[in-house]
Amino acid sequence: MTGRWRDLAWAGAGLIALLLVPVFGAPPAIRDFIMFGMAYGLLAMSLNLLIGYSGLVSFGHAMFFASGAYAFGLAMQSGKFSIPAAFALAIVFTAALALIVGAICVRLNEIYFAFLTLAFQMLFYNVILGWVSFTGGDQGLMGGIPRPKFLGIDLADRTQLYVFCCVAFIICIAILRQLVTSPFGYTLRLIRDNQERAAFLGVNVPLVKLTCFVISACVAGVGGILLTLFVSGAYPNFGFWTTSGEAIFMILLGGSNVFLGPLVGTVILRLLNDITVTYTSHTELVLGIVILILVLGLRKGPLDLIAERLENRRQAAAQAVRDAADAGAAETRKGGS
Amino acid sequence: MSSIGSRRSASRRQILKGAGVLAMTGVVGTPAIVKGQSGAIKIGVPTVLSGRVAILGQSSVGGLKVVFDKVNEAGGINGRKIELVVRDSKGAPQEAAKVTRDLINNDGCQIIIDAEASSGAFAVQEVIREIGVLCIHSNSETSSLTADPKLHVPTAFRTARQGIHDAIGGGDYAAKIAKAKGLKKWATCSPDYAYGRSNTAEFMEYAKHFDGNIQVVEESWPKLFQPDYTEVVTKVLNAKADAMYSALWGGDLVAFIDQANLYGLFDKQASFMVNLGDYGVVDQVKQFPQGVYSGGRYNRTVPPTKENEDWYQNYVKTQKHKPTNWSWENDVAAQMVVEALKKTNGDTNGKKLAEAIKGMTIKTQFGVGGSVTMRAEDNTLVNYIIGYGLSLSKEPYIADFQTSPWEPIYELEKQWKKKQGYA
Repeated sequence: MTGRWRDLAWAGAGLIALLLVPVFGAPPAIRDFIMFGMAYGLLAMSLNLLIGYSGLVSFGHAMFFASGAYAFGLAMQSGKFSIPAAFALAIVFTAALALIVGAICVRLNEIYFAFLTLAFQMLFYNVILGWVSFTGGDQGLMGGIPRPKFLGIDLADRTQLYVFCCVAFIICIAILRQLVTSPFGYTLRLIRDNQERAAFLGVNVPLVKLTCFVISACVAGVGGILLTLFVSGAYPNFGFWTTSGEAIFMILLGGSNVFLGPLVGTVILRLLNDITVTYTSHTELVLGIVILILVLGLRKGPLDLIAERLENRRQAAAQAVRDAADAGAAETRKGGS
Repeated sequence: MSSIGSRRSASRRQILKGAGVLAMTGVVGTPAIVKGQSGAIKIGVPTVLSGRVAILGQSSVGGLKVVFDKVNEAGGINGRKIELVVRDSKGAPQEAAKVTRDLINNDGCQIIIDAEASSGAFAVQEVIREIGVLCIHSNSETSSLTADPKLHVPTAFRTARQGIHDAIGGGDYAAKIAKAKGLKKWATCSPDYAYGRSNTAEFMEYAKHFDGNIQVVEESWPKLFQPDYTEVVTKVLNAKADAMYSALWGGDLVAFIDQANLYGLFDKQASFMVNLGDYGVVDQVKQFPQGVYSGGRYNRTVPPTKENEDWYQNYVKTQKHKPTNWSWENDVAAQMVVEALKKTNGDTNGKKLAEAIKGMTIKTQFGVGGSVTMRAEDNTLVNYIIGYGLSLSKEPYIADFQTSPWEPIYELEKQWKKKQGYA
C-alpha cells in the first residue's frame, strides 16, 4: 500500500472510530468535548502548517478562524443560503481575506511576518467590534444560527451535527496530510530550512508561501464554522490574539514536528481546561505550570519526544544489524584466510 | 517466545486502551451518572471567576448561597437539598456555551442560573433554546436579551436589572438636576463596547426627553480596562461642559476617578456615574470627589429597612465580602427558583418551572414597596429599586437617594420597544 493510500485508510479508520462514539452510547458531554476539540484542532493543525512546515510563525491565525465563523454565521442568519452554500461562501471569503493579508505578509521574514499578521488580526478584530450593526459588536452574532435541513440532513439534531463535524474534520485533516506528504509539502520544508537555496533551485518562494498561507487559513475557517455550529453563535474573541496564542500553546503542548502533534496538544489543553475548571478557577495557573514543565523539562511536545525516541531506537536497531553484518563478514574473511 | 511477547504486548495495549476509555469517561462522563443519583436538585452556574471581573462571579455565587443555604438548612425542597455547581467560563462566550452544556449533560444540572456577563449570556441563551431547561439570567443588563422577541426563549428569564429601565429612571433624575442647576452642555465618558455605548445613548436620550435644553457636546470612549485616562480627562475638560455622564465601572471607574482628581475634573462640572454606588467601587476610591451623583446598585441603606440591613449583615458574615449589585440580582434569581420548585413540588421540568415563574411576584427588600415581579410578557424582572443619589466618601456612601417611580418607566419602555421594532 502506498503512503497516500495508507494515509487515506487511516483517515477512514479515524472517521469510523469517531462515528462509533455515539453508537456506543457515549454521553453527550463526550460528543461535545470531541466537537469542541475538532474545531480548535483544525485551528492548531492549520497553524502548524505555517509554523511547523513552513517556518512562518503567525500570531494572527485566529483572524481566519473568526472570518470563517462570522461569514458562515452571517450567511445563515441572512436566510438566503443553505448550509453547504454558506459553508462554501465562508471558505471563499476566508481564502480571499487570506490572499490579501498573505500577499502583504509572506514577503516578510520572522518577527516582521509575526507582527504584521498580529496587526491584521487586531484590525479585523476591531472591525468586528466596531461594526455593531452588522456583526453585533462585542455581543457577537445573537439570536442563534439557523440550521435548515439540506439533503435530508438536520444539523439541529445533535447527533447529525456530530457526524457532520466529524466528516468535515477528517476531510480537512486528510487534505493537510496529503499536502505535507506531497512535493508541495517538501517544498515548504525546503523553504523553512533554507529559503535562499529554495529560490536558487527555482522555487517561487513567495507564491508557495502564499498558497500555504491561504490553504492554512481555509482550514482554520472550517474550524471556525464548526465552532459556530456548536455554540450557535460567533463572538469577537474567536479572532482575538489570545485565541491565536491558544493555538500556539496547542502546538507547543503536542509538538510541531509530528503531523498529529497539534491535535494531541488540543486534546491535552482541552482536557486540562475541563478538568481544572471543574475543580478550581485557577485554570491559567495550572496551564502555566504544565507548559513550564513541558518547555523546561521535555523541551518539546510529547509526540515529538516519542517520535524522536522511536527514531533513535530504529537507528540503534539498524546500527546493530549493520554491526552484526560487519562482524559476520569479518568472521567469514578470517575463516577464508 | 515471540508469540508470548506479542500476546503480552496486545494485552498491554488493551489495558492502556481500557485505561484511556476509563479516564475519558471519568473526566467527562461519570460525574453525570454518579451525581445524577444523589437526589439533590442540581443548579448549574456558569459565571466568570477569574480575571479582572472575577468579582462578578464571586458576588453572584454569594447572592445564590445566601438563599440556597437557608433552604437547605430548613430541609430543602420536599426533602431534596439544592446543590450549586459553579463553573468558570473565563468570560469567553464559547466557553460559556460549552460550560453550560457540560453542566447539564455531564454534571446533571436540571436548572441553570446564568451569572455570566452579557456576551456570555447570549451564548447561554442559545444553549437553553436547544435544551429547554429553566434558565435565569441573573447578571446581563443588555435590554435586547429579553426585549427582542427574536431572541425569546420560553424557559429563559432575567432577574438582572435592565439597561432601558435604568436609562429612563436615570434620565428623569438627571433632567431634574439639570433644570435646577442649569446644566445644559453635557459630556460623556463611557467604555467603548456595546454596554457602554448603548447605556450612554439611552441615558442621554431620556435626559433630553425630560429636559429639552440638554445637549451633548463631547463624547469620549476609553477602551475597556484602559490603564491611562489622561487623554480622556483632558478631552472632557476641554469640552467645558456643565455636566458629565459616565458608564465606566469596576476598576476602570476607580482608575478614572483617581486620575481625573489630579486635574480637578469634578470641581469643574457636575458628574453622574451610574456604577459608582456599588461596594467594591465606592469604597475603593482613594480621594473621593464631592458632588458626584451615582445610580443605585446595591447599598445597605437602600431601602433603609431592617430587612435590608439584616440581609447585608448576614451576607458579609457568611460570604466574607460585601455584596454588590450582582448579589441582589442573584438573590432574587435564587428566591424565584425556590418558589417555582415549591409550586412544582420539586419537579425540575423546564416548561413546568417556566410556567410557575412567569408573572411570579415575590416579597423582597430589593423591590419598590417590598416586592418584585417577573413580567410574563417578556420574562424580565420589574419593580426593582431604581434611582440615583449623591455619593459620599464613607458609610453609607450614598445620601438623598431618590427612587424612580415605575409608571413612567413602563410607559416610556413601551415607546422604546416600538421604536426598536420589539413590539
